[in-house]
Amino acid sequence: MSILHVNQLVARYPGAKTDTLKEISFTVNPADFYAIIGPSGAGKSTLIRCINRLVEPTSGTVRLFDQQITQLPPRQLRQTRRHIGMIFQEFNLVDRMSVMDNVLSGRLGYTSTWRSMLKLFSQADIQRALELLERVGLLEHVDKRADQLSGGQRQRVGIARALMQDPQLLLLDEPTASLDPKIARDVMTLIQQTARDLQIPVLCNIHDVALAKEFCNRILGLQDGRMMFDGETHSMSQQDLDRIYEREVL
Amino acid sequence: MSPLTQTFDHYSQQKRQQQWKHLAILAILLLTLLLSIHSIIIEDTDWQRIGTLEQVLASIGRFAALDFSLIPHLGVPMLETFMMACLGTLLGLFFSLPVAWFGALNVTPSRRLLYPFSRFLMTLSRSIHEMVWALIFVAAVGLGALPGILAIAMRSVGFISKIIAEAIENIDPKPVEAIRAMGGNNFQVMYYGIIPQIKTLVIGTIIFEWDINIRRSAIMGLVGAGGLGLTFFRQMAMYNYGGVTVVILAILTLILLGEIASHYVRKAIN
Amino acid sequence: MSTQSQTQNRQLHWQRYRYPQSLIQFTLVLLALSALAYSIHFLNIDLQRLLSVFGRVGEVLAERYFPPDLAYISQPGYLQSVIESIQMAYLGAILGMLLAVPLAWFAAWNVTPARRWLYPLARLAIMGSRSVHEMIWTILFVTVLGFGMLPGVCALVMFCIGFAGKLFAEEIEVIDMGQVEAMQANGANPLQTFMYAVWPQVRTAWTGIAIYTWDVAFRAATVVGFFGAGGMGWYLKRNVQQLETERVAAILLSIVLLVLVSELISAWARHRLSRRRAGNQLQNA
Repeated sequence: MSILHVNQLVARYPGAKTDTLKEISFTVNPADFYAIIGPSGAGKSTLIRCINRLVEPTSGTVRLFDQQITQLPPRQLRQTRRHIGMIFQEFNLVDRMSVMDNVLSGRLGYTSTWRSMLKLFSQADIQRALELLERVGLLEHVDKRADQLSGGQRQRVGIARALMQDPQLLLLDEPTASLDPKIARDVMTLIQQTARDLQIPVLCNIHDVALAKEFCNRILGLQDGRMMFDGETHSMSQQDLDRIYEREVL
Repeated sequence: MSPLTQTFDHYSQQKRQQQWKHLAILAILLLTLLLSIHSIIIEDTDWQRIGTLEQVLASIGRFAALDFSLIPHLGVPMLETFMMACLGTLLGLFFSLPVAWFGALNVTPSRRLLYPFSRFLMTLSRSIHEMVWALIFVAAVGLGALPGILAIAMRSVGFISKIIAEAIENIDPKPVEAIRAMGGNNFQVMYYGIIPQIKTLVIGTIIFEWDINIRRSAIMGLVGAGGLGLTFFRQMAMYNYGGVTVVILAILTLILLGEIASHYVRKAIN
Repeated sequence: MSTQSQTQNRQLHWQRYRYPQSLIQFTLVLLALSALAYSIHFLNIDLQRLLSVFGRVGEVLAERYFPPDLAYISQPGYLQSVIESIQMAYLGAILGMLLAVPLAWFAAWNVTPARRWLYPLARLAIMGSRSVHEMIWTILFVTVLGFGMLPGVCALVMFCIGFAGKLFAEEIEVIDMGQVEAMQANGANPLQTFMYAVWPQVRTAWTGIAIYTWDVAFRAATVVGFFGAGGMGWYLKRNVQQLETERVAAILLSIVLLVLVSELISAWARHRLSRRRAGNQLQNA
């Protein structure tokens, strides 16, 4: 059974003249590490934000398991978002909060308003947060403020925070674009390893084709909001790549 | 004519027009000044009654005979003034939170209605002098510390909420996006995504406003709201000018203490 | 799952609150709360009254202060007092700012002509006139000079010295010192240095501060009359004492409206100023 099914997705920003996304359809299966590649401005970020409706799609459907995300009212949408972990290009941590609080904030969707006001997270959540911090190798930085860490370390906090949600799907929005190449590879390896261990499918926006080819089993090529390629990584030829990037001015 | 000289002519013409405009504004301002001087210093002032310089100096001299017997009676009013300033600032902060929330363009629940309304409240609160606020509240709730506290609170709302609203408008939206993405509700977005980013600035603003409020609180007694202002008023009514000076010194002491306190608190935060 | 089996035998520990700090924090919060409770008790504040106060303000306003006596404030006598208020604010603001300029120059650490004696003296003058509230200045000047507009102007002058002096001085303290040093190297005296190296740098910022000073001076001028210093405040006082509440309402309304109008005008002036500043920057670039 497929995890995520996107059908005929169209997105247009208010006031824009053309559609940012033009009838995108694809399916993510349980063991997938799915890459979305394409030149900048192709709509990669918009596509990934349409999945959890940080951007409202104009038409088309997004289905996670058997739930139509595109039709959920706000409350149910929040409940569904809990099951979708997201990792961001610029980490999107709360700089002035401690690493621990940032990781714990991944549980907010499961925590009642008054408990979150007093920062009363359950013992199980704290235990889980510590395990995840150990897994990403940041256990000794638990009480540091997030802005005291290096870029790679901050992305690891972001990963731990997303995993706190017990996600059934991970969305990565250019997770390595703000990191230097060596650390980018480490972070991708960590994500791949974790996703395999915890059996979470991944949908990943990535600019770097080499990284996409190395880590992902399926690739979707976007150009100017249009799907140019969708298939297994090994089936993608140099020609396909050229077609995806043909309009990019270097 | 070449295009270059054309633009130059146009430019110099514009420049000349601007100079004329400046000159006209300056002339109006100067004329108003002369008019004001005329009506205040020549028409309105009865120089005869003010008397000679010696007489004026003599009446200033009456303030120099400090009345130290008043000092033991100053403790309670000083405490009252101090408490009024603290409670007024706190209450002001309390009122400011919703005003700032509604008045920040990026988080306001309604851009059409609540946003302009809050902006109007901010201006209104700052436009009305604390004396006027005090008069309104004395009329409504009677004499005592309560109208003073309310007046200080209402006067503080404008400044505090304006600063908070601007801080909210300038936050980094990325953490907010992250908390939305993980299913946080509006309160959690506010509490985890926005408040940590603006906390330091808000505390600094409150200390700043508290400092000013001590000054304001010291005059609330003039219209019947207790504290040092009341003592001042009584000394004035008894023509005890030495006592008046002592009360002013007490106010200055309180302000100085407040400034020292806020210096250390500010240091502790940073 | 592998992570769980790995860590099951080894418990990790973390607590938000740890012993010494948590106790100190707890004590501080407790102290603050009891101080709050004590102040409420000390000032005899009835909390229930506090809750109903805004309802009552509305009620009182509706019953006794409505409708405002608009005929009263359109009398020539009152309109004359409005003009008086404007004149007092204008003269007070201008004289105050004229005095504030040298004081700010002396009280700016980086350009003060004499750090030993002029600097502390000017600081003290600015601080002193700031710390005393404009209403107290008014009462003092009325006592010395008698009723009339002159004491009002004097009080506003003191107020503007404190207000503008501090802001002016702060603006001087952040200027580029290179130009000042260049002037000093030329052998310019302190006044020349001020005119040629400091003034051009702070001119625009000071204009903004001057507009701001006008705002607060006008706001104060509407009420200084309350203690006998001329202008609308005098009418306010008389009617408050005679319990002519509908007239008081009309006067308060006119004060609020006038202040709002004045703020609108200065907002417009500030807007123009910032546009001109942006234009200058473009030309310089």
